[in-house]
Amino acid sequence: MRNFITPRYYLPALMIFILLLIPLFISSPYILHIMAMVLFWAYLASAWNIVGGFAGQLSLGHGVYVAAGAYVSSLLFANIGLSPWFGMIIGGLVAALLGVIVGYPTLRLRGAYYALATVGFAEGFRVILINTTKIGSWHTGGAEGFLVPLLGDAPQHMQFMSKVPYYYLALVLLLIIVGFSFWLDRSKLGYYLTAIREDEDAALALGINTARAKLIAAALSAFFTGVGGVYYAQLIRYLEPNAIAGAIMSNQIVFLAIVGGRGTVLGPVIGGIFLTIIGEMTRILFDQVMGLHLFLYGIIVVLFVIFKPRGLIELVEKPYEKLVKMLNGRRVEGAS
Amino acid sequence: MFIKRNYKIFLLCITVLLVMLIAGCSGGGKSSGEVKEIKIGNILPLSGSAAPVGKIGQQARDMAVEEINAAGGIKSLGGAKIKMIYADSKGDPATGVAEAERLITQERVALITGAYQSGVTLPATEVAERYKVPFVCPVPSEDVITERGFKYVFRLAEKTTWRNREQVRFIQDMAKKFGTPVKTVALIYENTAWGQGAVKGWEKYLKEAGLKIVLKEPYPANSSDLTPVVLKVKQLKPDVIMMCSYVSDAALLTNTFAEHKVKPLAFIGTSGGFADPVYFKTTGDNSEYFFDISTWEPDVNRPFSKEVNEKFKQKYGYPMNAEAVKAYTAMYVIKDALERAGSLDPEAIRKALAETKLTSGVTQMYASEIIFDESGQMVNAPLIISQFRKINGKMERVTVWPEKEARPGWKPVWPFPGWDK
Repeated sequence: MRNFITPRYYLPALMIFILLLIPLFISSPYILHIMAMVLFWAYLASAWNIVGGFAGQLSLGHGVYVAAGAYVSSLLFANIGLSPWFGMIIGGLVAALLGVIVGYPTLRLRGAYYALATVGFAEGFRVILINTTKIGSWHTGGAEGFLVPLLGDAPQHMQFMSKVPYYYLALVLLLIIVGFSFWLDRSKLGYYLTAIREDEDAALALGINTARAKLIAAALSAFFTGVGGVYYAQLIRYLEPNAIAGAIMSNQIVFLAIVGGRGTVLGPVIGGIFLTIIGEMTRILFDQVMGLHLFLYGIIVVLFVIFKPRGLIELVEKPYEKLVKMLNGRRVEGAS
Repeated sequence: MFIKRNYKIFLLCITVLLVMLIAGCSGGGKSSGEVKEIKIGNILPLSGSAAPVGKIGQQARDMAVEEINAAGGIKSLGGAKIKMIYADSKGDPATGVAEAERLITQERVALITGAYQSGVTLPATEVAERYKVPFVCPVPSEDVITERGFKYVFRLAEKTTWRNREQVRFIQDMAKKFGTPVKTVALIYENTAWGQGAVKGWEKYLKEAGLKIVLKEPYPANSSDLTPVVLKVKQLKPDVIMMCSYVSDAALLTNTFAEHKVKPLAFIGTSGGFADPVYFKTTGDNSEYFFDISTWEPDVNRPFSKEVNEKFKQKYGYPMNAEAVKAYTAMYVIKDALERAGSLDPEAIRKALAETKLTSGVTQMYASEIIFDESGQMVNAPLIISQFRKINGKMERVTVWPEKEARPGWKPVWPFPGWDK
């Protein structure tokens, strides 16, 4: 029992508590929407991190899984009325299946093959989405995009008029993925993945089935990303192949994870939160000159990458450890 | 030492962020009893690949608003001035949604205009509908925008399929006038949202007109060689060839048709690439006698058209295009609605917009009559056909149809005279 009141436990609990309370103090739907998007991006970056960070296999096509989750759940929802809550599972599974299809032949190879395959697969998937207007009698919208039916307040179908439920939903998703990453980091599979990332030959020599471990990581990552896609579909309610399955989506996910610190539990979360907020801020504050916001965003990112190449996580880790030590010290002092 | 310097830069970044955060949070939310200014939010692609068209849309709006404000603002609101707030959608649907949320809940705009791309407009208008804030769309043309039963969305543009409908009408009209029966049509289109929308319209209206589609040929928009497409068309010998293309593929198609001397009764484009100034540069004389559809041309025979275009050219250094004219007109439609609403109550503005009936003033440069139907769709959006003609050694777009809006003294050349000109 005594262990649970050390800073190592109550600091994260405090942070989660603050995140839970935020909607009580912020009434602006816009700010809540942005915060939900911030948490959502942090979630996607964390999901990517499973294969891209822990396993060290660069996937440049995660947009495919976002799109798969979004399209599968939305099509089932629009055509047979299946609630997106169930669609989350199915969408995630379809995404995982796609992840296996890309990964199975290429993850046994070394070098850039997996990264190349993900790029090619993503581009192909986008083109298929653009050119398919119907699956059987189900309209997919093709390049014109797919409008998710608006039902107003329908909690059973993951639709809300208020932004508060969307915020909490994003928060829950993020907590799940962080919890999962935390577990993965300390699990047998996690050690396998670390071994593969550090030295694949050595891992093989130790008897690890590297192809299988990588494939599991890829499937898990795709699953979580697909679940994220379902959330996106219900928040934005419009799926456009270029925006959702295109390179911009895929690259953004990678970008957030790498700037935040790939291969760490919280790096992608920090990257997602920081960069999304910076992106939003620069867009609003520097709207007088066309394109200036992207320029400033770029500069901020470049500065971070130059000075903190291992990710933003470096900046947060040390002060956090210090804080924990300090609080620990105080507690011990008080006890004595 | 290096670490220390690092730390300073980090501190600097954090300070900048904090300042931005505070500045960002303190904006908006002010309100006063008396109406001094009317905030209008505008969502446009101001960065990304569509930034140039976003910019010209912004300039056209600014010019209209300057005129309106200089003429005393909105008189029924005590001469209140219009204040424009621009939001960059980056051409991305999710960003468009976030910006609509911001404009409505932070900036508290009275209404919104935008968003150029249909893909951004669809979800952004849904946000406005949810908050019951009127949304005027001057440009986006995807049919479904005004087919969702929304009450707060008004479109000043034509639907995509209306263009196809007018093209078919034009073909029938020409066939009758010149005694050249048209039976078969080939459709060639780029394979994104736009081309896919066009082909739906063509299929519908060609079928209604009893014309036979002998070829439906989609191609990827960034194709570097369209010879196979052209050869297919040549073999089938359709009476009319209809195209929906971006600029590089429009030029490529035109030049390849010239190379293989394909000779139908007419080539008809669907704006887009054919309306781009670059098209003439890359095709030279090859495009002569091609037809194209649009809603406005610099030479169109409508009141105020020349004057406004001249003023725009003086101000910004280049002429208006159809999108700019729509954006410009939209501001006057909004002004008219605000005058009649006499309040900033969104419901009053919505009602005034729905009751719009503009038959005089500068909006004539776009349409002789502006009214919206139940769905918020402009009735009878004006569509015209122009033909590319060589005048004094330079290619020009000459408005030829319908007759009363044609460039005075010019008539369509039909059928296509062939390549040995």
